[in-house]
Amino acid sequence: MSSRPETAGAGEEVAAVRLHEVEHVYGGPGGPVAALGPISLTVPPGAFLVLVGASGCGKSTLLRLVAGFERPASGTVRTGGAAPVPGRGAGIVFQQPRLFPWKTVGGNVELALRYAGVPRAERARRVPELLERVGLHDVADRRIWEISGGQQQRVAIARALAGDDPLLLLDEPFAALDALTRERLQEDLRRVSAQTGRTSVFVTHSVEEAVFLGSRVVVLTRRPGRIALDLDVTLPRTGVEPDELRALPEYAALRAEVGHAVRAAAA
Amino acid sequence: MRVLSLLALLALWQLAAVAAGNPSFVPAPRAVWDQLVLLSTTHDGVRGYSGHLLVEHLAISLRRILIGSALGVVAGLVLGVVLGTVPWIRLVAEPVVTFVRALPPLAYFSLLIIWFGIDETPKLWLLAIAALPPVAVATAAAVHGAPTGLVEAARALGASRRDVIKDVVLPAALPEIFTGVRLAVGVAYSSVVAAETVNGVPGIGGMVRDAQRYLQTDVVVLGLLAIGLSGLLIDGLLRAAENRLIPWRGRA
Repeated sequence: MSSRPETAGAGEEVAAVRLHEVEHVYGGPGGPVAALGPISLTVPPGAFLVLVGASGCGKSTLLRLVAGFERPASGTVRTGGAAPVPGRGAGIVFQQPRLFPWKTVGGNVELALRYAGVPRAERARRVPELLERVGLHDVADRRIWEISGGQQQRVAIARALAGDDPLLLLDEPFAALDALTRERLQEDLRRVSAQTGRTSVFVTHSVEEAVFLGSRVVVLTRRPGRIALDLDVTLPRTGVEPDELRALPEYAALRAEVGHAVRAAAA
Repeated sequence: MRVLSLLALLALWQLAAVAAGNPSFVPAPRAVWDQLVLLSTTHDGVRGYSGHLLVEHLAISLRRILIGSALGVVAGLVLGVVLGTVPWIRLVAEPVVTFVRALPPLAYFSLLIIWFGIDETPKLWLLAIAALPPVAVATAAAVHGAPTGLVEAARALGASRRDVIKDVVLPAALPEIFTGVRLAVGVAYSSVVAAETVNGVPGIGGMVRDAQRYLQTDVVVLGLLAIGLSGLLIDGLLRAAENRLIPWRGRA
């Protein structure tokens, strides 16, 4: 597999994420287990792609491949035209916040800025700015265990945004939160992503979450995960209140369609 | 409750002294107390024990413990990080560390005296060597078992290999390292008497050894009490430092 960046054709944008015939296999005690694919997928810059599927369909594996934590058994993965390397070009939010408890809230964000090569003076200015952006005020000096789970996940998002990477990867980031907190974080993420315009790949098993967040929803079959449905979401991205959005008839229709596909794919 | 149990212990001690009927075998609490007063003052033109007050003996031993275990802790930390991160070095060096750990300090003290003479140097070496293994083993285990989730998160943020060790692996290992340090100081403490068997005066271990030679059992007991109580105090200080330095312990 070559790591040479692919040159885009004349007038053609480099895809934010491109998967070509990707397959992935895990070594199990009873021999190798096919986890994913073959799967081909191209995500244009600025898209909010949601991967939805039942547990064990390989959607998290797909995200780990895009993050560069793992290499595919066959096929190619490209982000911004090159083979992905962790820490380059993509911010990641995990299911658990994975914050560093020996750092304060602000310290966690500051560390991310430092790794991104932001000079010290600018870091001090940008930490509160990033926290504000995810809806947190006056928590920079707090300890991690002094803030709620929802707030911790907000910090994790702020941290992932710190590098100003063109790509944001989210692996079921709200799965461990209570319903009300989850809804509020979904709304804020939708707003933040519309503001920053960066490409996002979001993994979830929730149909509701997929339809609410995605500009495009891809439903995966059960293991080895393949594309069962690939749907562009035509709901407005800005200028609509979350409650209005959920009340739209198109929203209900989409939710029904995706829900049906997820159930069929899991069967 | 603590006072009560202390009083009960004293009473038991007194009883044992009476039952033994021989102050050279079991000295009474009162005799030990008198020695404490005697050794803390200048009496009949003699200053304390062998020309040094009890606190001076203790202070010199504590200084040896401090320097020796500090050297051992630093070396153990470095070795532990290497052992925990480089598998082939772990393979080679771990049996050596375990081997040294199994040796009683008195056994290799002879070698140290041949190499370094009878002054401070061999004593500090002894304490350092005794303190090194607990720290190295604890650090290696903690570094080896660094939380993969946090390491991955740091890598996702663009941390280099060095960043990951400095900002994630070491802080995550700190609680276990601290346990190792407390163990190390404990080992250094119990080794100081061994270190002071040769040319150990002034020094609390040297004092105890001399007193044993002259059958001054009350001085021996006083020395033991001084070592034990100061050991408790130091461990308490280390615990307090631990709580301050590692506030996240048990919370994340």
